[in-house]
Amino acid sequence: MKRVRLGGLRLLQSAALLVTAVCSSAAHADWYNDGKVLLTGGVFTVDGAGGGGAVPWATISGYETRDGINGSAAFTYVNLPALQVSFYGVNVGFYDRLELSYVTARLSLNLSNVDLVGLLTQSLNLGDSLGINAWNNTLQMDTYGAKLRLFGDAVYTSDSWIPQVSLGGLYKNNMSKDLVHTLGANKNKDYEVYLAATKVLFPISTLVNYTARYTSANEDGLVGFGECSGNGNCTNKRKIRSEVSIAHLVAKNTAIGGEWQQHGDNLDGKSLNLNGLDTQGLASLLQNLGLGGLSNSLTQKKEGDWFDLFMAYAPNKHISFVVAYLMFGNISVAPDQNGFYFSTHLTF
Amino acid sequence: MTIRKSTLSLCAALLALCSASGAIAGETKTKPIMGIPASSVAAFGGVDGIHNWVESLFYYIMLDNRINYIFKEFGNVDRQIALNTQLEHMVLGGPNEYQGASMSAAHADLGITMTKFNAVVEAAYNACERNNIPYYNCNDLIAALAPFTRVIVTR
Repeated sequence: MKRVRLGGLRLLQSAALLVTAVCSSAAHADWYNDGKVLLTGGVFTVDGAGGGGAVPWATISGYETRDGINGSAAFTYVNLPALQVSFYGVNVGFYDRLELSYVTARLSLNLSNVDLVGLLTQSLNLGDSLGINAWNNTLQMDTYGAKLRLFGDAVYTSDSWIPQVSLGGLYKNNMSKDLVHTLGANKNKDYEVYLAATKVLFPISTLVNYTARYTSANEDGLVGFGECSGNGNCTNKRKIRSEVSIAHLVAKNTAIGGEWQQHGDNLDGKSLNLNGLDTQGLASLLQNLGLGGLSNSLTQKKEGDWFDLFMAYAPNKHISFVVAYLMFGNISVAPDQNGFYFSTHLTF
Repeated sequence: MTIRKSTLSLCAALLALCSASGAIAGETKTKPIMGIPASSVAAFGGVDGIHNWVESLFYYIMLDNRINYIFKEFGNVDRQIALNTQLEHMVLGGPNEYQGASMSAAHADLGITMTKFNAVVEAAYNACERNNIPYYNCNDLIAALAPFTRVIVTR
């Protein structure tokens, strides 16, 4: 036992030494590369993959060319009337071929109707299986991603219509299991697969991207995946949804554009799933309290597709900023969510 | 002795062949998918403007330690400026004669990486800015030169 532990420790030590050696000796020699032209690696999406704001592109994130490795870190803040989300993430691009990414999202929900349910269940001791807190509902989701460039060069094949095409996968783990179930979702963890095609059209200084994503996500997974109807009938039907990004470069360091991301309808028209509770009891209780209207207000609206208009500015290869105006339509029980997006992308 | 003589003559024949084929092969206009506007040469300020742009390009190339040594080692910069002016004029529409070697022949042994190619592209954008050539016109030239990546980047 002791020997095994020692062996493990030795292994760890040598691994650490190796990492240090590689990092220090070759830090700016062999594998490090930042040879891409400004902005051609895209910025940091909310899924952690390189791309626009919400739509992953076929480009590999970071400024590396096929000659080396580069990485980036990013912070994104989204402010909508009913919720705020912070995204913290990193990604690494290998030889302009493979990209690995991780991002964690913290979403604070300020929905007075949902909070009121939390307040009632809490004060009436109805149990806490809903995952609703009376004062502060926070959802957390981690997303792990990988993207492989299959073929094509988005930038330099200006004499061919063939775009750069990449295949990507995302694994999303929403830690707020109870809350996403209460909001009517089936699963809190799931994967998504996407195929992205990106092309820079120099004569019109515009980057065009189309992505097809195979997913069952509700609001990108922030409200889980799939759906459960009231009778406990749960499904997780993945479908192919379309996403489009158009970025027009007005200068070599500034892009403006827009995005569209198709969303599903898993939770449309569903009330909050109060399975853990005696819902009849809650309804009559609400009636008695003169809050009968609350049950109606807990019906989720039709999930809106995401639209955004953005401006990206990269003063140099180490930092870029994106500001965007978001038009996300209805999110869960909150109607017409329009707001702002701010992102900082640091590239090494 | 006889062997040496025949080797020499073989070399001479090869040289003649190379220069002859070089003159014929040269380089041809690229075919960007959306075309190059007919006004491109004028947007660069005519042939004189293109020449100025190429001078600026080489100014920025020779400042960039990632690539300047290649140009110092393998090329006569004045000659390259003259030939590049012809090349850029041709790909932007011409019509004119390009007297240099093909892009593949000229770069075959240089071991150019994508990183180095991109460094020249960065110099090209800097040259456009320096010469007050609008970004959109600059992109027409980049579109016209981009297909050469396939033969220039050999590593």
